[in-house]
Amino acid sequence: MDEQIVDLYLKDPPVRQEWERFLTSIGIHNFADKEVDQIDYTIGIYSGDDLVATGSVAGSVLKYIGVCNKGVTTGARFNAIVSELVNRQFANHVFHLMVFTKLKYSESFQHIGFSELARSNEAALLETGSPDVADFLSDIPRVADQANKKVAGIVMNANPFTLGHRFLVEQAARANDLVYVFVVNTDASLFTTDERTELVKANTQDLANVIVVNGGDYMVSYATFPAYFLASTDETVNYQTTLDARIFRNVIAPALSIKTRYVGSEPLSRTTGIYNQVLARELPPAVELKVIERNRVNSDDATIITATKVRQLIKTGELKQLPRLVPAATTQFIQDHLKTLQARIQKGMNIDGN
Amino acid sequence: MEIKDTAVAGTLESSDIQIMISKATDGIQIELKSDVEKQFGDQIRHVITATLNALGVQAAKVKAVDKGALDCVIKARTIAAAQRASETTATPAWEVL
Repeated sequence: MDEQIVDLYLKDPPVRQEWERFLTSIGIHNFADKEVDQIDYTIGIYSGDDLVATGSVAGSVLKYIGVCNKGVTTGARFNAIVSELVNRQFANHVFHLMVFTKLKYSESFQHIGFSELARSNEAALLETGSPDVADFLSDIPRVADQANKKVAGIVMNANPFTLGHRFLVEQAARANDLVYVFVVNTDASLFTTDERTELVKANTQDLANVIVVNGGDYMVSYATFPAYFLASTDETVNYQTTLDARIFRNVIAPALSIKTRYVGSEPLSRTTGIYNQVLARELPPAVELKVIERNRVNSDDATIITATKVRQLIKTGELKQLPRLVPAATTQFIQDHLKTLQARIQKGMNIDGN
Repeated sequence: MEIKDTAVAGTLESSDIQIMISKATDGIQIELKSDVEKQFGDQIRHVITATLNALGVQAAKVKAVDKGALDCVIKARTIAAAQRASETTATPAWEVL
């Protein structure tokens, strides 16, 4: 093929304009800064002066793939673009890639080695490379005779782990033989993934039947549910969480014999509230959804325990109130690292989201 | 030859094959995607396995996405991926060709 693949620098306004115009012409319309800012790099193919194909990468996610097939073999440009993106990512030692696409393009991606993780009426989520979801699942610890045990799962960001999280895990641990706590893997929160995971472990180590694992790219990750990390419309949250819920129902739960998923009731966060509704719609009957009422500090104090509240206290430095909201290990960690955490907030880490 | 890392060779364009090789504990496992799997799947697997055997690879996980590659292409891509994955690209295994 004599068409060269070139780098597109979206910081250059004319390039950005041309790129948006081309994508708009083929039905891609979302160019919000918060989406476009995630892009690591963009490539394209020109035919004469016209952009005829483009694709971008954000971390391990392919984005804004758009191709015009006028006058060439269908698929040739698509394969060239995706091939180039995949090879560049592999050269950067990113060997696992995901793509979130309209349902009608799912098949095109499957033709070039992607496997579908989940689909809804509008969209599909696919992955390629290694380690894939089978590798992810086979690395998760299991117990003897797990298929005949009562197994439950909880997915949490735990930013940071509060008494509310503790209550939720305790309820699940009491009612089940085994509880998996999946910690959100995406590092976009005040507390880093390692810190969040360590605090979940430290605060649940007395519960013998709880296993803490990283949720990988498959549970509330930047790939499956970007709206958790970027403010988005209800509609976006709805279709992303539908796919997230279906991965859990169709892939994760059967492999680990998970019969019940626990969530905390969500009176305050709109995004998580929609997520809970979608879980209630999608999971049963394969997986039962148990909604645990969010704990209040005590009967005469109506303050609802949330990690958002904890993060505000960190910002203002009012640590005296902490023990009412978080377990000892979290309090200790915050006391020891207050300066670091406050510095992150000052640098612009958003603490009002999730 | 020991596979130390994940590595890739080849593209997803017509007449090529993309081969990804990663570490495995034992044996050669091949996951193949090809539009001509029915007709040529066994042959493609055979070429990959024979090439890896000739390189002395005992254990590897192979993911192959075929776009109608000829045997010589499959062989070349397999060698390239295996040499990258075993970090031996500085000493090409000419005799395997």
